[in-house]
Amino acid sequence: MPDPIIDVQDLTKVYDSGAIRVEALRGVTLRVERGEMVAIMGPSGCGKTTLLNCMSGIDDPSAGTIHIEGVDLVAMDDDRRTSYRAKRMGFIFQFYNLLPVLNAVENVELPLLVSGTRPAEARSKALAALERVHLAEWRTHRPAELSGGQRQRVTIARALVNDPAIVWADEPTGDLDSHTADEIMSLMQALNRDHQQTFVIVTHDPGIAARCHRTVHMRDGLIEREDVRRD
Amino acid sequence: MTSLFGIPLDQILVALVIAVGVAFAVLAWIGVRNPLMVRMGLRNAGRRKTQTVLIVIGLMLSTLIISAAFATGDTVAYSVTNAVYRSLRNVDVVVALAPDRAGGLESLDDSHADTLRRALASETNVDGVTGVSQVRLPVVNTGRRLSEPAASLVGLDAATIAPFDVLTSVDGAPVALGTLPADAVLITERLATDVDARVGDRLTMYYENRPFEVTVAAVILDNRITAPGAIPTPGGGPGGGSNSPTGGMVTTLDRLRQVTGREGRISFIAVSARGAARDTLEVTPLVEKRVTEILNASAAPMRVVTTKATAVSTAELVGSLFVTFFVVFGLFSIAAGIMLIFLTFVMLAAERRSEMGMARAIGMQRLHLTQAFIAEGMAYNVGSALVGALLGLGVAYGLVTVMGRLVARFGLNIEFHFNPQGFAIAYCLGVVITFVTVGFASWRAANLNIVRAIRDLPEPQPLRGRDRGFGGLMLATLGVAWYAAWIAALGIAAIVVSLAVTLVGTFSTPIAAIEVAAIALLLVVAWPAVRGLGARFDGLARSAKRHRNGGGWAVWMLMVGVGSIGYGGWATQQAFVYTSGVTLVLLSVAMLAVYFGAASRPAFTAASLALIWFWLLPLPFSLFIEGAESWTDPLNSLARLLGLQHPAIAGSVEMFFVSGLSITGAATLLVIFNAEVLLGALRSVSAIFGGVAPAIRTAIAYPLASKFRTAMTLAMFTLVMFSLVVMATLNHNFTQIFLGSDATGGFAVYVQGNANNRIPDLRAALRGASPDPLAGVSAVGTLTSKRARVRVGGQPPEAAGNYQVQGADDEFLRSAVFPLASRAAGYDSDRAVLEAIRRDPTLAIVDEGRLAIAATSAAGTFGPPPGAQQAFRLTRTLDELKAQPWQPLPIVVRDPAGDTDVPLQVIGIVRREATSVINQWNAVIVNGSVMRSQFAGGEAETFYLATSGSDEASAKRAADAVESALLERGVQATSIRERIEDRAGQANAFQMLFQGFMGLGLIVGIAALGVIAFRSVAERRQQIGMLRAIGYTRRLVALSFFLESSFIALTGIGMGLVLGAALSYNLMTSPTFTNGTPLHFAFPWARLFIIVSIAYGASALMTLIPARSASRVPVAEALRYNG
Repeated sequence: MPDPIIDVQDLTKVYDSGAIRVEALRGVTLRVERGEMVAIMGPSGCGKTTLLNCMSGIDDPSAGTIHIEGVDLVAMDDDRRTSYRAKRMGFIFQFYNLLPVLNAVENVELPLLVSGTRPAEARSKALAALERVHLAEWRTHRPAELSGGQRQRVTIARALVNDPAIVWADEPTGDLDSHTADEIMSLMQALNRDHQQTFVIVTHDPGIAARCHRTVHMRDGLIEREDVRRD
Repeated sequence: MTSLFGIPLDQILVALVIAVGVAFAVLAWIGVRNPLMVRMGLRNAGRRKTQTVLIVIGLMLSTLIISAAFATGDTVAYSVTNAVYRSLRNVDVVVALAPDRAGGLESLDDSHADTLRRALASETNVDGVTGVSQVRLPVVNTGRRLSEPAASLVGLDAATIAPFDVLTSVDGAPVALGTLPADAVLITERLATDVDARVGDRLTMYYENRPFEVTVAAVILDNRITAPGAIPTPGGGPGGGSNSPTGGMVTTLDRLRQVTGREGRISFIAVSARGAARDTLEVTPLVEKRVTEILNASAAPMRVVTTKATAVSTAELVGSLFVTFFVVFGLFSIAAGIMLIFLTFVMLAAERRSEMGMARAIGMQRLHLTQAFIAEGMAYNVGSALVGALLGLGVAYGLVTVMGRLVARFGLNIEFHFNPQGFAIAYCLGVVITFVTVGFASWRAANLNIVRAIRDLPEPQPLRGRDRGFGGLMLATLGVAWYAAWIAALGIAAIVVSLAVTLVGTFSTPIAAIEVAAIALLLVVAWPAVRGLGARFDGLARSAKRHRNGGGWAVWMLMVGVGSIGYGGWATQQAFVYTSGVTLVLLSVAMLAVYFGAASRPAFTAASLALIWFWLLPLPFSLFIEGAESWTDPLNSLARLLGLQHPAIAGSVEMFFVSGLSITGAATLLVIFNAEVLLGALRSVSAIFGGVAPAIRTAIAYPLASKFRTAMTLAMFTLVMFSLVVMATLNHNFTQIFLGSDATGGFAVYVQGNANNRIPDLRAALRGASPDPLAGVSAVGTLTSKRARVRVGGQPPEAAGNYQVQGADDEFLRSAVFPLASRAAGYDSDRAVLEAIRRDPTLAIVDEGRLAIAATSAAGTFGPPPGAQQAFRLTRTLDELKAQPWQPLPIVVRDPAGDTDVPLQVIGIVRREATSVINQWNAVIVNGSVMRSQFAGGEAETFYLATSGSDEASAKRAADAVESALLERGVQATSIRERIEDRAGQANAFQMLFQGFMGLGLIVGIAALGVIAFRSVAERRQQIGMLRAIGYTRRLVALSFFLESSFIALTGIGMGLVLGAALSYNLMTSPTFTNGTPLHFAFPWARLFIIVSIAYGASALMTLIPARSASRVPVAEALRYNG
């Protein structure tokens, strides 16, 4: 793999609360290519969300290295890592995690404002992102006024608005019915195809995994095997 | 202290104990019927420790304020009462010359005392009668070059003084007077300190300018007999009322008479009741009655002037006034505290909304949820009320410590003290207030829609009716009537219980206990009947609940409002009822507009603007239109067009509170309903804030999304700031009025002569002194005073009151600059009035305090000040005099020692601000020739020096030089400006103390911000995680939380400032409020800056902690967090 966008070596994560010590990751090594769509699967508690959190820089590993676009994420301090996330990463969560007090377009433009984009430009990019997920006409609605599928599409728009190199998705369809889940997955596939953005998706759903280029299977904090789609 | 607002404390306590009993009975009933609800409530209380701490702080504040008010009042009452006991010792009744009889201080003689002694000889309640003589004179300790210009020399009868126990050495041993050598005196502790005298020292005293050498034989304690000017006591007494306490010297009557040459004369007679100093209160009235009978039977010119019982009851009244004062002005903080309690429970309910929806889904009744909340509330309540009451004692301790320092100069020793009764009342009141508030909040919280609660969807707009027709509105009104009937029934029950409590009075008698038991039994017996009655109307209740909505409440508000306007304006002329009615009507109109489909924002914007305008009238008109100060009642102006205007309405101190609540409430509505519009502008320019723009975005969005909690917090902050701003501004302006440059009267130095060493001509007395004390002095004015009987011309002699007449010499009348509140017709200027008096001895001016009091003025509402009945008063008010030109007002003055009426014409009224510092100017001021011809030359002189230099240093130099040159004649000279500053300093210190107390309310606002901020961090944990994930740095998250709290705090501070300033401006420019005194209104910028800084600084500090903890939320954990 000549130019991995994600390069994880011997990643370890231990949760130690004093009385209880849990090894969530026990030396994971993983590489993801630019433009690849990778699914991470495994039973509950196998460490897949922990791996995603560590790779995206929202959690600190106990040991090992993480290089994103060749940059050592572990060596960065919190502010630099946060700034890097704002500029180069997008996030999609199972429960959407939209700010209930902001409307759709305000939620979408938030990452742009954080990374210093001028408000007017941020607004036009946010509207364009909503257009891409077919929600332009819902831009002034607050999350409570949207359906689950619509909320997830707003989340996707927010994840894509800053044109990130990598989109991290943690159970993006876990809270949706199968029809809506299919729509969302199709949308992500199209975005991956059209914009060559890298997607790392944690899922329980084999149907979702089947639509990714590669599926990484985890068990007990380790990568058990990898399946590559052949088409 | 035995009463508050005129209600005996016993009765208040009994009523509160019953109310607390009811609260605990409700809790016990819940515990027995549904122990699970109590367990749920208690476990919830222990879930989040920081939040629990904040809730407890919030709940305890009302109790703290009440407890502090009680303890402060108790301390004042106790200290003043103690001063009375220490001062009077065994003196229980004092008899002196009747004020309306001729004669000076020494007008009684030994025969009067002997007569009274003989008449009381058979009285078993009396164990002593003695005559006392006293004079004021200067005393000098030559050895140490120290002097006291106005010490008392007291002559006592060695044979009869013993029962009074007034001669006690500083170490507590009795001192004998009989064995005192001829040239020796006992001196009091204060005098010993003032002139640094010790036993054996030689002192020189001067009487009628003759020196007398005496030796200090012993140092004794100051009290009302040994040093009449040392210890002030309420109720006066011989020699009382001095603001500058001085010590005394005690000798025998014979020795004093050798000095004064007044053989056989005494100043007053003291009577001692049998028993120790603190044990004679019950006997004193009997002794007083008997003494009065004897005096009435003998035609002696004497009367009882004071008794220990009167002095003690006055002391208790002073304490009671302090409590009332502190409680009334603490109402703002208490109101804010109640809002905080309500807000806290609304937030707790919001936090558990989905749990509650789930609980309702599996079969819990609304009542169960209410019970769980009440149980939780009581868990917080019981402890927090106790902590609050205890902390209140601590706050009171701080207040009285500062107060003690302020009053120490008056010789009053403040000792911390609290009455367990007041403490119990504060505790019970805290428990009851919290119980009622929590009960209401719980009932409100339990009224939820199960599906919406589980899915956490917003509740529908409460004001919008499903059926927007009048029929639906009538049904809604009837639905609300069911609740109104219950409220009325509860009110009637409360009145019945109150009446029963009044009958009971106290638990102290067995009959009272039986009555309480009977009431309790009645309630127990009546309860099933009430429940049965309720069940009978079950269908009606269900129907009422189905139809009840905001429209129904609005109709009731409208009806009550209209009724209040009519009742308060036309029936009783009560401003409180009238203005509350207008407020209710305006709000109800907005609610009805929304009910019928209008948008909330324009409807409530219009109503709140109208309310603010109504409450802040005559602003803005008074800024631009002369005479617009009276434009305060547009409703009445409309009524006047129809010839239906109401009579003048009157309000008192309660209007301060009512206006505060109404204005801040209306302003809060205005801001909340328009915040999105206002902040939209801020959002559109957020680019200029650069990197913090996202933080501003979220900081604004959250408060706007939670309008109710934002409005409550904003209202709390605004209310407290409003009260502080109004108090600070009023105090500042009143201080300016009364302690401004007008108080100098055009002079720089005030010189008080000694009545026993008179100086008819100051210039002559100072001639030859070196250096010349009058160098740099441009004028020396002289006033000669005499106590007189004064009445309005045409009134019978018995209508006369006591007042001082001051004869002014030519130089005084030429130099004085007295601003006049009003002048008689024909006098073009204030100077012309003084010039006329200089030429015409039949003319006079009087101070403004002598005018009649208008019934609608603040003073008229509170009634005349104590003792006012005895003082002379004119029959015209200032408003009447100002309304049209007036002819000179005839008055008649008479020297009590003579029988000649002197007719005078009052041609000018001196403004209060000119007479606020120099007491001698509160007088009938006439040409000096009147004093010489009609008042035997008067009794004492005061001199007023004008200096050529306007600087304070030259005034001080002149004062020091005069005092030093006339040391032996007992002259006291002070710079008038220094005196004004001294008074202003005292006034400021008291104001700061008082504002400190009112500032306790700030803690409520700050605690509210803290509760919201901590709650927000817990509520938004997952959102914080998301924000951090998408690129918010820790700093940006913290800043967002910090700005969010700041947004509320700064808005509240700004609103409080603007509204408080506007109301203060209205009050200070209202002729009714200032009694017509013109004023240059000024804001106390420095003090307001301090208040704002403290308010914002403290709230910022409070929110830093949750903001910091928000920034430290672990991102990955937070994203997993699910509530």
